[in-house]
Amino acid sequence: MHNKYPNEGMSLIVKTITRFTVWLIFLFGLYIFIHGHLSPGGGFAGGVIMALSYVHLTLAFGKNYVNERMKIATMHNLEALGGILFIVIGLIGLYSLGHFLQNFMGKGTLYHIISAGYIPVFNLIICVKVGMGLYLVFYYLASYQRKEG
Amino acid sequence: MILYIMCFFLFLVGVYGAITKRDLIKIILAIGIMGYSVNLFLILIAYRTGALVPILKEGLHILPSDMVDPLPQALVLTSIVIELGITALMSALAIRIYEKYKTLDITKIRRLKG
Repeated sequence: MHNKYPNEGMSLIVKTITRFTVWLIFLFGLYIFIHGHLSPGGGFAGGVIMALSYVHLTLAFGKNYVNERMKIATMHNLEALGGILFIVIGLIGLYSLGHFLQNFMGKGTLYHIISAGYIPVFNLIICVKVGMGLYLVFYYLASYQRKEG
Repeated sequence: MILYIMCFFLFLVGVYGAITKRDLIKIILAIGIMGYSVNLFLILIAYRTGALVPILKEGLHILPSDMVDPLPQALVLTSIVIELGITALMSALAIRIYEKYKTLDITKIRRLKG
């Protein structure tokens, strides 16, 4: 996409290297949370790594460049949606099997990607919630402006 | 046993920084050191010599009696998340105090400014 704010952020060298490294960091976070029920890692660590890729982009290009691609209001809505979905899945287990957060999906086969019941779904929810929350903390601490007068 | 005593010494380093320094940023860093020492102590309690990781993998047949205790590791992961929230809150309060008083020295933050 075209960069409308070429004067913000850091120098040309940093921007060129950032274009090459940001998607590598994002893909590593995606791998960590997809394999969360088979190996160390999980939704929390994957969400933190994805948020760090966005922090990298913000430091190199300025906050207006990231705001055009991912609105701050969208991040707030996604974070709230994660909390709501957690409770909804718990209530589905309560309604169908009689206990809150009971496993209502198939267990699959051991050591495969499709296994472990609803744990991958919770990994996805936690990944979205943690990533958005950490980026919002960084955004509001970094874009603080003192009021003149 | 010497490792537990060294963890307690690290905790005392954090307490010393929190009660003798006058800069707000140094106090925040000292509170972080206290939290890290408690996390290290909990991880060292769960360790047993000669034990392996508590993960089931293909081709590795480990009995559950040969694994380290995974419960304190999960508790320490939760503790790390709570420390992240505490550090973010303290940083926001320090920024607000600097906007109000134009200083971070706690001996000079004494006047009421409405």
